[in-house]
Amino acid sequence: MPLINLVDYTIDFPESDCSFNKLNFALSRSDAFAIIADSSDRAHLFLKTLALLVKPVSGAFYFKDKKVDFSDYRNLLSCKKKIGYIASNSAMIGNITVRENLLYMRYYFENSLSLSLDETTKKLCKNLGIYDKLDMRPERLGSVDLRTAIAIRELAKSPDLLLVERPEDFIEHSNFAFFTEVLRDMMLTKLPVVLISYDKNFIEKFSNKKIFLKDGTLSIG
Amino acid sequence: MDYIAGYIGRKATSATNHISNLFALTYRIFVLIFQRPKAGRALVRRITLEQVYFTCVQALPIIIPIALVFGSMLIIQFAKVSGQYDLGKTMAMLIVRELGPVVTALLVIIRSATAIALEISYMNIFHEIDAIEMAGIDPMRIVCLPRLIGITSAILCLFIVFDIVAIIGGYLIVWVFTYIPMGDFMTQIGRAITATDIAVGIIKAIFFGIAITVTCLKHGFSVKKLITDIPLSISKASVECFFYCLVINVIISILFYL
Repeated sequence: MPLINLVDYTIDFPESDCSFNKLNFALSRSDAFAIIADSSDRAHLFLKTLALLVKPVSGAFYFKDKKVDFSDYRNLLSCKKKIGYIASNSAMIGNITVRENLLYMRYYFENSLSLSLDETTKKLCKNLGIYDKLDMRPERLGSVDLRTAIAIRELAKSPDLLLVERPEDFIEHSNFAFFTEVLRDMMLTKLPVVLISYDKNFIEKFSNKKIFLKDGTLSIG
Repeated sequence: MDYIAGYIGRKATSATNHISNLFALTYRIFVLIFQRPKAGRALVRRITLEQVYFTCVQALPIIIPIALVFGSMLIIQFAKVSGQYDLGKTMAMLIVRELGPVVTALLVIIRSATAIALEISYMNIFHEIDAIEMAGIDPMRIVCLPRLIGITSAILCLFIVFDIVAIIGGYLIVWVFTYIPMGDFMTQIGRAITATDIAVGIIKAIFFGIAITVTCLKHGFSVKKLITDIPLSISKASVECFFYCLVINVIISILFYL
């Protein structure tokens, strides 16, 4: 059973002058796709599409064999919750601390504000160098630390699908080896991943299939 | 002629559309009040309390001097004009029924409504709303609902503070610093304020709170991409809020006092 299945999926995104015409795409557990596109905008748009952040013009999006209903944004929330999205347009909530950002989902769903970070998240924060910055507001962090915090938040939510855009830009160079270790461990649990990277070694290491996007059409290699 | 008719028609359609959107947003937020799912209650409560703190508690150092100035100014003027006999009634009419709600609403619009429109625009442009959605959380419940409840409660509290400070504080200032005879001012006030005045104050606070919050949220959410749209949305939101408050004030006054 594919985790995600796009059927005749048409996207029109005039802002970046990109579109997809009647895409068909299926993603199953343990798939690791690397996106190779003729433009970075198009690759980014495809990642956004998989994250349910773009409303289609036509076609069907199946998440765990269930058709996603785009008529109301609330129908998408349960699917979005299961997608880890580490991309250039990922953000943190500005008026709370980084720690609260990392705990936000748990604050909401566990209905308690007296929660602390679990051991895995603490370990990620320590090893990726933001542990001593957890009580700062996101705007006080440097851009690399901010992106690292976003990556930790997405990894910590135990996603069913991980979408990663240029991880080499997200994580400090010195901590990148640790990040790749974490990613490898997650992928060993059959977590499907779709990634965009300019690092060919990274693509070779972490993908077993390629998505080629050219002129709004998709092919798998 | 066709051009003018077309222009008026387009403006009327756009205004009707805008008002219907405001009502639709109000409806959506109200539905959330009655749904009351268990998830997120603690977070909603915290954000609501923070909103009350920002809108009400932090506004006290501003509203108290304003209320004192208004109260003492009106007492001085009306004590001379009315020859002290109906001073209490005049003060109750002016401050409790009309000036208190409007000045409080204006203050909340200047301080908090503009801040909300700015915050929501910012959250929209910098993908914070997307981040909330990607966590599986409904932004309406976590962003809109606490602001509606918080601002409405804050306005109600500020009404009470304004009325009390304007009447009692104004009286004390005039009594301490001037020789204007005011007779049995406090008794007159006590007799003049009726249960209807208190009910009207509460009704106005609720409607002002809803109008201010929903208008600001709507303008905040309407900013999608351009950061240069933010000042425009704030300006529109604040002017619209004040206009709606004045209209609501007039309608409620007509309904209860005519």
